[in-house]
Amino acid sequence: MNVQKRNNVNVTGQGVATMVFAHGFGCDQSMWRLLAPAFAGRYRVVTFDLVGSGMSDLSAYEVAKYDSLHGYADDLNEIVDEFGAGKIIFVGHSVSAMIGMLADIKSPGRFAAHVMVGPSAAYINDGDYVGGFEREDIESLLRTLESNYLGWSSNMAPAIMGAPDQPELGIELTNSFCRTDPDIAKHFAKVTFMSDHRADVSKLQTPALVLQCSEDLIAPRSVGDFFEKTLPHGTVAVIDNIGHCPHLSVPGASAKAMTDFLEAAGL
Amino acid sequence: MSVELPSPPPTDLAYQQAACGLLTTDNQGRILKLNETLCGWLGYSSAELLSLRLQSLLTMGSRIFHQTHWSPLLEIQGSISEVKFEMRRKDGRVIPVMLNAIRRVHADQKFDDVALFVAEDRHKYEQELLRARGVAEDLLKESTAAQEALARMQAQLFDESSRQRSAAEDRALFAEQMMGIVSHDLRNPLSVVSLSGHVIKRGALDTMQSDALARIGNATSRANRLISDLLDFTQARLGGGIAVKRRPLALHAFVQELVLELGAAHPGRALSRIAEGEGDCEGDADRLSQLLSNLVGNAMTYGDPKTEVRVTSRICPDVFELRVHNHGERIPDHVLATLFEPMVRGPGVKTVGRSIGLGLYIVREIARAHKGEVVATSTEADGTLFVATIPRLVEMPVQI
Repeated sequence: MNVQKRNNVNVTGQGVATMVFAHGFGCDQSMWRLLAPAFAGRYRVVTFDLVGSGMSDLSAYEVAKYDSLHGYADDLNEIVDEFGAGKIIFVGHSVSAMIGMLADIKSPGRFAAHVMVGPSAAYINDGDYVGGFEREDIESLLRTLESNYLGWSSNMAPAIMGAPDQPELGIELTNSFCRTDPDIAKHFAKVTFMSDHRADVSKLQTPALVLQCSEDLIAPRSVGDFFEKTLPHGTVAVIDNIGHCPHLSVPGASAKAMTDFLEAAGL
Repeated sequence: MSVELPSPPPTDLAYQQAACGLLTTDNQGRILKLNETLCGWLGYSSAELLSLRLQSLLTMGSRIFHQTHWSPLLEIQGSISEVKFEMRRKDGRVIPVMLNAIRRVHADQKFDDVALFVAEDRHKYEQELLRARGVAEDLLKESTAAQEALARMQAQLFDESSRQRSAAEDRALFAEQMMGIVSHDLRNPLSVVSLSGHVIKRGALDTMQSDALARIGNATSRANRLISDLLDFTQARLGGGIAVKRRPLALHAFVQELVLELGAAHPGRALSRIAEGEGDCEGDADRLSQLLSNLVGNAMTYGDPKTEVRVTSRICPDVFELRVHNHGERIPDHVLATLFEPMVRGPGVKTVGRSIGLGLYIVREIARAHKGEVVATSTEADGTLFVATIPRLVEMPVQI
């Protein structure tokens, strides 16, 4: 098993501690292109693609293994073992924040800190808990996924539309950051949006920062409040942003909140 | 000479009534500008849509996709194309739409220009394709499952039939071994009895002793015949048929000699012979004498003892026949039907004669080994007639 090839692992930067960045549902590690460089001067920076996303080895996608977030958590621990050096700071967007949390619970002490960007412990409303979605919303998402094949083709045919503002992005890259095998995307969506790890949140003994956007459809404020109440060593920082990707839309504010947290934690 | 081109409608009209919906949003999706085509498609007035967020017009699934795919792609690559969303019209109806978008920076502000196409036909077609794919996948699953079940059944059947075949082979082997024991272990003591009888015969015997010795001789002969029948039966059933060696045969002379012997063996019974036709014949003399002995023995046993048994040897152009006729009780049809099967007795429940009913079976097997056949007919008036029909020469085609 070649972990580097399986997860398309990339290492940049240098430092005594390692920051491992994991992207969320939808796109790939290029989501970190505006945020990760801010830390490459101080830390060893590891980015990778979840199996089934980006340039990961699609042949490694086993439905049984990735039928829960635990399969991804096991992969993450293997990546940390092979590419981590010094203390490990894990930065996970959305579903990957939960993957990092599960990896930590499986292997206490492996991680020194977590940064959770727009995490959600459960997406579906349940009693007093407001995840933001009903079951039929997820069905509706699966239908949308079924008819969108961004950049996807079994032989990677280039998409048609260029990016006039950013000519350095070759036309062949268009949409490729969210390139998706429709079957894998559907399965990953089901696993993500049906997941419920509320019971695990209280088990995380490692310090954690939750980056909560002021307005986020995927991870509403109620979910941030749940983390604030439930995380044993958690801090919630609310970032003024509409949307689910503050690391792309407000990378500066995101980096500042993270740096404050890491400095306070002595990392 | 230059051609004067007609001038198109003014740009603003082209925008408002473009062949696609057009809108511009800020980077949070708030609608700042839109054309009439879009308003028409969505059923809203321009005023109702201004300052609404584009994503608020989407169904929930599309809104999630907007967050997980659309926004990051616009951030990263500045444009996005061919995204299919479900959009809710003012009247509540959901329509499938295709969107392209480009992000522009104007006066330090980010704006997204979006073009929108209604995609109902494409959507329907895609649904058909997806349905067809689902059906194909189900069929594939079914067919795979059926193939697996079939393979399992075949393996089971193969195991079962191997098991049965092996059991049958065991039984056959056991039977053959049994017959071997019968042939050797019974024949040896019988030949001792027979030889000892001959030795005793040389001495001076009184009448009672002579009679007893004669009975010993008859009994050992019968036991030997029985053993021969059993061996032939075994060979016919398990050994692939009775082996014959066909050699040139003077049929009539052969039958004449045999009838004399058989007559001596059945003292007090009338046995006549008729010869018909001429020609060369080929056959296994030992086996044919066995065939004829069995038929004559049968006729003597079941025929009317007061009447004559007649043996006929007849040579025809293609075949020769050995016929044995007796008078007496008619053989019922249901008995005739299975007369040549092993272990089947003749009419009545007479216990005399050779006991286990192998004789006629061996007759048929000898005829078949000669590429011939044997048939029996029986009537009240004409009595019972057995006819063995055998090709006259080895190379003659069978025309029976």
